[in-house]
Amino acid sequence: MDRNEIVKTVNSIFVERFEMDESELTPEKKIIEDLQLDSLDLVDMIVGLQQKFGIMLRDNPEIRNVRTLGDVYDLFEKLAKEHPEIADKIK
Amino acid sequence: MEKRRAVVTGIGVVSPLGNSVAELYRGLLDGRSGIRAMTEWRGEFGRSIAGAPVVPDPEQVKQISRKVRRTMGNAALFAGLAAREAVTQSGLEPEFFSSGRVACVIGSTVGSAASMTEACVADYEGRRNDLSACHFFRLMSHSSSFNVADMFGINGPQLSTNSACASGLQALGEALELIQLGKVDAVLAGGSDESTPLVAASFQLLYALAEEEVPEPEKLSRPFDAGRTGLVCGEGAGILVVEELEHAKRRGAQILFEIAGYATNCSGWHVSHSDEVQTANCMKGALADAGISAEAVDYISAHATGTKVGDAAEASAIRAVFGGDTPVSSLKGHIGHTLGASGALEMAAVAGMMRDGLVLPTRNLEEVGDCSGILLPREVQERRVRVCLKNSIAFGGVNASLVCRSFE
Repeated sequence: MDRNEIVKTVNSIFVERFEMDESELTPEKKIIEDLQLDSLDLVDMIVGLQQKFGIMLRDNPEIRNVRTLGDVYDLFEKLAKEHPEIADKIK
Repeated sequence: MEKRRAVVTGIGVVSPLGNSVAELYRGLLDGRSGIRAMTEWRGEFGRSIAGAPVVPDPEQVKQISRKVRRTMGNAALFAGLAAREAVTQSGLEPEFFSSGRVACVIGSTVGSAASMTEACVADYEGRRNDLSACHFFRLMSHSSSFNVADMFGINGPQLSTNSACASGLQALGEALELIQLGKVDAVLAGGSDESTPLVAASFQLLYALAEEEVPEPEKLSRPFDAGRTGLVCGEGAGILVVEELEHAKRRGAQILFEIAGYATNCSGWHVSHSDEVQTANCMKGALADAGISAEAVDYISAHATGTKVGDAAEASAIRAVFGGDTPVSSLKGHIGHTLGASGALEMAAVAGMMRDGLVLPTRNLEEVGDCSGILLPREVQERRVRVCLKNSIAFGGVNASLVCRSFE
């Protein structure tokens, strides 16, 4: 699973759930300050990531430390290496 | 001390006959029906059931910000759309809603029947982790009320009159009392509900649903008719801007009518049996609250849903209070039973009757039978409607009656 595929999958959550324009979604964007997600949205971001990647994240401390969209891409690049089966689970 | 008076300065609806007061009223005047065969429910029932669905305009929906919309089920969404129409008509300034002097009082049977079903299915299938963080907020009992409050920045009292099919009318009564008591100067008040197969099945289980498969489903809802077989489930919202009279006058608002009196009671003995004595007492209470005699009432907008027992009991209660000379009609023949929305939604049409000097008939009423002894017009009648009484009757043995008069 390459980074492009991860970026595309993560971005689709922001487009579908948070009605954002794909062009807004660049790695340096801060999720709270720039993309204006609030506490409920952050939970829904985790729910969306769990569904798309088929992996439980709620209790993963690393997802709570992400600040930028790039951090989310990085985390999933790492997770994809640790759990290669993620590639087969993407919805 | 003289009571403060409450007037209506804005009305909005989402209804099976269209998503504005003008569309609803035009449809009723034309005698059209919002009822159709719910073929999309065929899988749930094994046959076609009639319903009166709402079709929201996606462009209007998008105008509600995502951060409010995300916690809305359909009932709250309908309430939001109706509230926007009402607020626009009222001409109230946006800043006023955050003055602490505005309340939001909206009721529904449940927050969102569809969201409740979705949550149950997810739980049953072991998918709780798939639920949105917003899901619970869609099904909470006061979902319509807090969502509409958030839409307009209302920071005064936020209440929810969840009394099934009396929810909307109780909200208008509560608005009157909040204004009379001086707690607030304006209230966004009304009711909302959404229809789902589970909602229809709840009535079906009680033999209260009109469920024959007929070639003309728009003829299934027949309030007061001898051939009535039950109700048809509708959905929608009716929201009114209820404002203190002097406040409305000071800003030069157009006053649509006055809410003059209100009463609500319950049977105190049975959840679903009709109690015509208590329904009559409720109407008498509303008239006494308004200081208006039964003889002065020009029109009665009945609850009458088309059930065998309910319509006859309401007709009997009306006969006991008013005799047989005051015109009575039910709008549920046109739009089905919009449940928690019905009281406030139907008041939107009654306001048109008061404005135009017309009484709209009950659609599909052909033969009166056991509901005789009250005056049931079969056609649109020209008649000055200066004072009207609106009833809502709900599971839980709940009655609500509102007395309104034109403002001159």
